[in-house]
Amino acid sequence: MSVSNLLENWSEFRHLHPVDDVPHDPYKWAMSIDLDACSGCNACSVACYAENNLPVVGKEKYAHGQAMHWMRIERYWDEDGREFPDQGAQFLPMMCQQCEAAPCETVCPVGATNHTPDGINSQIYNRCIGSRYCSANCPFKVRYFNWYDYPTTDNVWPAEMNQQLNPDVTVRGKGVMEKCTFCIQRVTVAKNNAKNEGRIVHDGDVQTACQQACPTSAISFGNLVDKESKVYKQWKAQQVELDKDAQAKDKNEEGRSELRGYRIFEELRPYPSVMYLERVRESAV
Amino acid sequence: MMNSGFDRRDFLKVLGWGGAAVALSGCGNGSVEDGKETVVSYVETNDYMIPSISVYFNSTCAQCDAGCSITGRLREGRVLKLEGNPDSTINRGKTCGLGQAGVQHHYNPDRVREPLLRTGSSGEAITWEKAYALIAEKTKGVSGEEIAFLSGGVSGHLKVLLGNYLDSFGCKNHFAYEAIAPAVLRAANKKSYGVEMPRFNIGKAKVVLSFGADFLGSWVSPVHFSQQYAQFRKGVDGQRGVLIQVESKMTLTGANADRWLVVRPGTEGILALGLINALGAHGVALSGDVAAAVKGYDKARVSKDTGVSAEQIDKIVALLKARTPSLVLAGSAAEGYAHGSQNAAAINLLNQVLGNVGKTVEVAEVVPFPQMAPTTGNTAALRKLNDGLAAGKYKVLFSYAANPVFTAPGAMKFKDNMAKAGFKVVFAHYLDETALQADLVLPLDSALEDWNTQVPEYLATCAQINIQQPLMEKLHANTRGMGDILLALLKQRRAEEYKGFEDYYAYLRGAMLKNKAALGGGKLDDDTFWNETLSKGIVKLEGRVGGLSGRASAAGLTLPAPAAVDAQYPLQLIPSVNASLRDGRHTNQPWLQESPDPLTTIVWDSWVEIHPRKAAELGIVEGDIVEVSGKNGSIKAQAYLFPGIHPDAVSIPLGRGHEAMGRYAKGYGVNPFQILDPVFDKETGELALHETRVKISKAGSRVIVVKDEGVVGGMQMGKKIAVRVSSDKVKLSEEV
Repeated sequence: MSVSNLLENWSEFRHLHPVDDVPHDPYKWAMSIDLDACSGCNACSVACYAENNLPVVGKEKYAHGQAMHWMRIERYWDEDGREFPDQGAQFLPMMCQQCEAAPCETVCPVGATNHTPDGINSQIYNRCIGSRYCSANCPFKVRYFNWYDYPTTDNVWPAEMNQQLNPDVTVRGKGVMEKCTFCIQRVTVAKNNAKNEGRIVHDGDVQTACQQACPTSAISFGNLVDKESKVYKQWKAQQVELDKDAQAKDKNEEGRSELRGYRIFEELRPYPSVMYLERVRESAV
Repeated sequence: MMNSGFDRRDFLKVLGWGGAAVALSGCGNGSVEDGKETVVSYVETNDYMIPSISVYFNSTCAQCDAGCSITGRLREGRVLKLEGNPDSTINRGKTCGLGQAGVQHHYNPDRVREPLLRTGSSGEAITWEKAYALIAEKTKGVSGEEIAFLSGGVSGHLKVLLGNYLDSFGCKNHFAYEAIAPAVLRAANKKSYGVEMPRFNIGKAKVVLSFGADFLGSWVSPVHFSQQYAQFRKGVDGQRGVLIQVESKMTLTGANADRWLVVRPGTEGILALGLINALGAHGVALSGDVAAAVKGYDKARVSKDTGVSAEQIDKIVALLKARTPSLVLAGSAAEGYAHGSQNAAAINLLNQVLGNVGKTVEVAEVVPFPQMAPTTGNTAALRKLNDGLAAGKYKVLFSYAANPVFTAPGAMKFKDNMAKAGFKVVFAHYLDETALQADLVLPLDSALEDWNTQVPEYLATCAQINIQQPLMEKLHANTRGMGDILLALLKQRRAEEYKGFEDYYAYLRGAMLKNKAALGGGKLDDDTFWNETLSKGIVKLEGRVGGLSGRASAAGLTLPAPAAVDAQYPLQLIPSVNASLRDGRHTNQPWLQESPDPLTTIVWDSWVEIHPRKAAELGIVEGDIVEVSGKNGSIKAQAYLFPGIHPDAVSIPLGRGHEAMGRYAKGYGVNPFQILDPVFDKETGELALHETRVKISKAGSRVIVVKDEGVVGGMQMGKKIAVRVSSDKVKLSEEV
């Protein structure tokens, strides 16, 4: 991808988020997360470690901000100056939002991160040179860099622990960037199985690791093209549209307030594939 | 990317392994362990083993006692991941983080691999034959009174074998000990409802008023309750459930409440009686003795005692009256006082007054095999054992699935007392603090290598027996299953009776087949029944259903006035229970160490939670190392300013501060068990976990707290990241 080519054909390269003339077909993977169900318990995060061969970096590296949790739970407090948080805390599971116009993709000097036809922001590990521009440009801070060669680092995967590693997922070495893949290894298996049966993937054929573990079933994952999928129905009911940068809810705060679906940093126009449903708090107490 | 320490060969080498439960010929573990590069091809593979294709086996999670059913994913004979089994009515396909980490218990590099015998200050590896011979020798001629068996909660066939082994000595000293257990609540429930553990229907309630029950985190059966909670939030008849949490230190459940009410530590019962009083004033019928018992608890007094405003009490009462049925829960925070039983009784009484019994508090089904029913652990058992040990009563002490040297309050001097036992046998996965005090350490199979049956204490919707089966070949040649060990020990005592059982598997299979008809397999032949049972991993049964008994009665209910402030030790120490680390038995699983505490986001270390107001008074800022000292010792840890705690309390999480156990546990954090005051609940004799009084002072140094939250400490800085909406602004019933 030469620079001149990039500059000349810029609009074409930026055309990858779905608009009417180039729809996703037959897949567009997306998520919705109900913050009213999410209890902040961290089961999703641990399940992600188990599924995706995430290294445990230890206290010292964690202190340096080098934790590798593709899925993390953010915890926020109210900022109204009350002495006690009498409406509880706010939890938010945060992972790669698989943006349709991903800020990380455009800055990669080697094209290691780009978009798949089914709408996943992919990371090609053996093309990555570790410039970390993508991480700098990610508004969600969900890209994680291998500062060390974890497979050979003491006590990351010592003997026997290494036998737990998922053979469907690469073990990453030093110097590459990694992030949530929407459990692409599971998606691939489901797609292949469906293909063998001459059909497309049905809703429920594939679950991400976080979704499967979630004790409150707060996470839904599926194909946004499939009108039978739960994710499609949820997005539709909340009137959240993938290729809009302002949703019905934002346009008319007063009249449309029964909606609670939103995407984070909508105004930056990354067109995320993850919709969150606002947490609800009882007004009567 | 791949390099020498981690090449493809690591995957290839294990191709020679067998799958679950099947002994395998040819290449064994040795080739992987000793690094011999033997690649064994599939000349003849097992039916279910195709390279690169996953197979799944059902079993039961052993990370806690909730009894969630799991499905292990295997590739090439190795278990890779655990998922929930959707057929279980307990967890319905879901798991918690603790359950996910079960594989790290199995593959843990610090597992004990050989029987170890202490000689003086050093230990040596011995054979199992020698170990068994030693036990036979040490128990020879010893009377039943001189033997003590300490264990965690046990159920199923293991409990039967354990009982039979102790019977063979005429020994009645089985001490079932759990450091964190709802034991006070069990006793209070027995009085209020006639059963120790009724079924709590959170999903059916319109209001849940929880007095410190962390049912989303660590209380009783959290994965089950989490699903009920999701249902509760969606609402019955389209009306979203309202959660009110009353406690002195915010738990995970408290963080999810619509209204979190901070109360003065120990006054939970007073608030419950105050609510009954206020309900009475709002026209709810109270029986004579209840009305008399709550008479003194008017709003002004209750508000003064508990710190909950009169206005807030009015709102709760209005809500409880308007939305029925509700559900009131008494959790560990209410239990943990010298008057814990009274607190729990007052809270149960509120349930009765609200008419929830029979609606959201229902009778649970019971597994129709009483001999397999769970023997639940508590702390009164440890106290009794400790007294016996102190008096030098025991010549032989066995310990299984407990780590009392770590979890007993330092003031009980358990370690010193344990030394007085003549011969100490510890069945262990790790060389933990208790195993280090043993004369003989016997290494156990992991939960993913062992056979068992389990009956959970909390049964969700039907009675069930859970099957635990090996998901893969044993990793280490010289570990044994607990059932196999007990069987071998029983053969020393009653050779004739048990000679027909080659191993625990044979015993288990035989016992299950004998009851085939009662287990619902009457029409099947033995092999079909057994294979189906293993394939499902659960035996669902027609449970025996009794009724809830007991009526609203305030007999014997007396609550003490809030404790006066101790001038020397002005603060209450709340040892908090983290959903991942619990009592510290799984601290050596690194995923759990690196999984942030949900509320503080701290990893790999302990902390002292202090309310910002109190911290300002004392001049403490985040990261200050503070000394927390009480009558029974002191510990030093980093301070964390936390708004969700009563200003007159400080909180330190349990589970860290190991001095042994393994590379991921040892040396991280401090152990608050060590400084607990030995105060006990007056009725049940349970350790009152929240009764410790302390003072804190700065110890001089300051560290940077290692945590996941950013420097602004959980503020969104005006960005709409995690957004909240008021319930009157949404229509949940119209959602997908």
